[in-house]
Amino acid sequence: MKQLWEQAIVEPLRELGHQAVVSLSSLMGVLLLILLGLMVGWLAKELVYRVLRLLRFDRLCDRLGIGSEVGRLGLARSCSYLAGQIVQGIIILAALLAGLNATRSQWTQGLVQRFFLYLPHLLAAIVILVLGALVTRFLGRSVLIAAVNAGMPSARLLAGLTRFFVMTLVVVAALDEIGISRTTIIVTFAILFGGVVAAAAIAVGLGARDLARDFLQSQFRAGPKAEADNTRRHL
Amino acid sequence: MAEEILEESVRERLGVLGPVEIIVGIPSYNNAQTIGHVVQAAHAGMLKYFPERRALIVNSDGGSRDGTHEAVVQTSLDTQDLLLIRHTLHPVHRLTTPYHGLPGKGSAFRTVFRIAELVQARALAVVDADLRSITPEWFDLLLRPVLEREFDYVAPYYRRHKYDGTITNSIVYPLTRVLYGRRVRQPIGGEFGISGRLVRHFLTRDVWATDVARYGIDIWMTTTAIAENFRVCQSYLGAKIHDPKDPGSDLSAMLVQVVGSVFSLMETYESTWRNVLGSLPAPVFGFPFEVGLEPVPINVTRMLMAFGQGCRDLRPVYEEVLSPGAYRDLMSCAALASDKFALPDEVWVAVIFDFALAYHRRVIDLEHLLKSLTPLYLGWVASFARQTEEETAAQVEERIERLCLAYEQLKSYLITQWPARTQERRSEQ
Repeated sequence: MKQLWEQAIVEPLRELGHQAVVSLSSLMGVLLLILLGLMVGWLAKELVYRVLRLLRFDRLCDRLGIGSEVGRLGLARSCSYLAGQIVQGIIILAALLAGLNATRSQWTQGLVQRFFLYLPHLLAAIVILVLGALVTRFLGRSVLIAAVNAGMPSARLLAGLTRFFVMTLVVVAALDEIGISRTTIIVTFAILFGGVVAAAAIAVGLGARDLARDFLQSQFRAGPKAEADNTRRHL
Repeated sequence: MAEEILEESVRERLGVLGPVEIIVGIPSYNNAQTIGHVVQAAHAGMLKYFPERRALIVNSDGGSRDGTHEAVVQTSLDTQDLLLIRHTLHPVHRLTTPYHGLPGKGSAFRTVFRIAELVQARALAVVDADLRSITPEWFDLLLRPVLEREFDYVAPYYRRHKYDGTITNSIVYPLTRVLYGRRVRQPIGGEFGISGRLVRHFLTRDVWATDVARYGIDIWMTTTAIAENFRVCQSYLGAKIHDPKDPGSDLSAMLVQVVGSVFSLMETYESTWRNVLGSLPAPVFGFPFEVGLEPVPINVTRMLMAFGQGCRDLRPVYEEVLSPGAYRDLMSCAALASDKFALPDEVWVAVIFDFALAYHRRVIDLEHLLKSLTPLYLGWVASFARQTEEETAAQVEERIERLCLAYEQLKSYLITQWPARTQERRSEQ
């Protein structure tokens, strides 16, 4: 009877207690890691923010047109603050993943492994999107201003088409990077390719006309260029 | 040691020549049709007005392919004997050399300046090679204030048709005047007299590999001379005859170059112009005789269309660049009926100051910023043309004077809005 009591009641309860202690310590470890991540993340954010401000990162971003975009989209109060927030986010995420990994369950470990394999692609896609948005904005504005100065009535349409095609190319490239619907993307890309080439031709023809002319003249006509002098005579 | 820009052979020839008191510099590029006349005028001017001084005419050519070089040589051979016989005490030498480095007028000037430095010239006159109205008297007017009145910089003063030089009238002259406090009517005229002292100063400046040398050498020289307290005056040269062109053509690139240079210099001389209030006239030499002027045809309707389209299509750009008040006023002007259109001086000045501030703050890409000024500038020209349609030259000058006063009155706005370097640093920390 005593043996039965031991085997049926006490032993399972002891095992349950042991497992509870192990689980609780794992949970404590996870919570501790997350708490640590939150603290380190906050400190890192402040550090990055202050260092970037000292390095005049905001001014650089303003010159590149990133600052106005960040303000327009309401992402953060400044680019350096946004950079700090990104670093903070990465640290908290890393702490969360480390915590999940610490539970030593197969499911969480698989999740962490998959996440780290996917991370470089995700980051590359984000970079492609950000840079692509900047290039799109620049080219769109180049085409708009050049078309207005050329007196083209469809200036806004041209600029809009340029932005649309260039941004499409950018989104396709970003989606391809993270491996979403590759076949669809290839087909879409093939269809849009002609359009993109046309947009690029418009962008170069209008937006970078002077650059193209300078380049061609420098390649095919010897001697210095004098167009600056020619226009200055009429000032 | 500074980079030597002159070829060895040129330096050898200068060494043989020895000290020269006056240099006449003629930068050229494909000016075979006109340079002969300019060289001839320079020869005659030297021989008539400065026969007792050694002079050297330098043609700094940018690689012309139309026979400009030959035209210079031939002209001198044709005229030298005759002029020498009648006037000269010292022969007028001639030197033709291609300039090196960055293509453009700045490189040509640098070559001429270096030659002036090597031969220890006391005075230098530079004139454009495409002039048709140049006379020997121009050299007297450009050089005598330097040689006899100890001025360092002589800017030209022309009679121009009311629709000629519209960028000068609307932006460059008023802005230079309000910023640096000197009324130099043609800051980018193209013809200048410069003292040897100022030439040496110019050569010490680190601008020769920059866009300033390529596009804005005239305004750089004028601004440097005024802002660094060299003695500046003007000489009345009469009419400057060149091929007049509709101010609505090829404007975009021109505005980028000229207005960009002015705005860039505002950053260089920030500490100077912040402390300048009002303006003083620069002395004018020469007799201001009346001359007949070739009319400059302009198409006001086309300009108004360009202005309207700019205000409609570039609205997002202007919203970003202009202050709310200036933007609202500009849009009110754009909403006026074509026959009632006018761009008040105060609105125009606020627009220019806001563009200068946007340039300094790098609000958008600089080329985009400056090119987006084109439709607004055309609006100003259209408004000016409407207002001055029946006005005489004197009345037009009065109108430009009123515009300058509007610039002066609104300067405090520019000063308060322009972030000082120290303040900027403090706020960023």
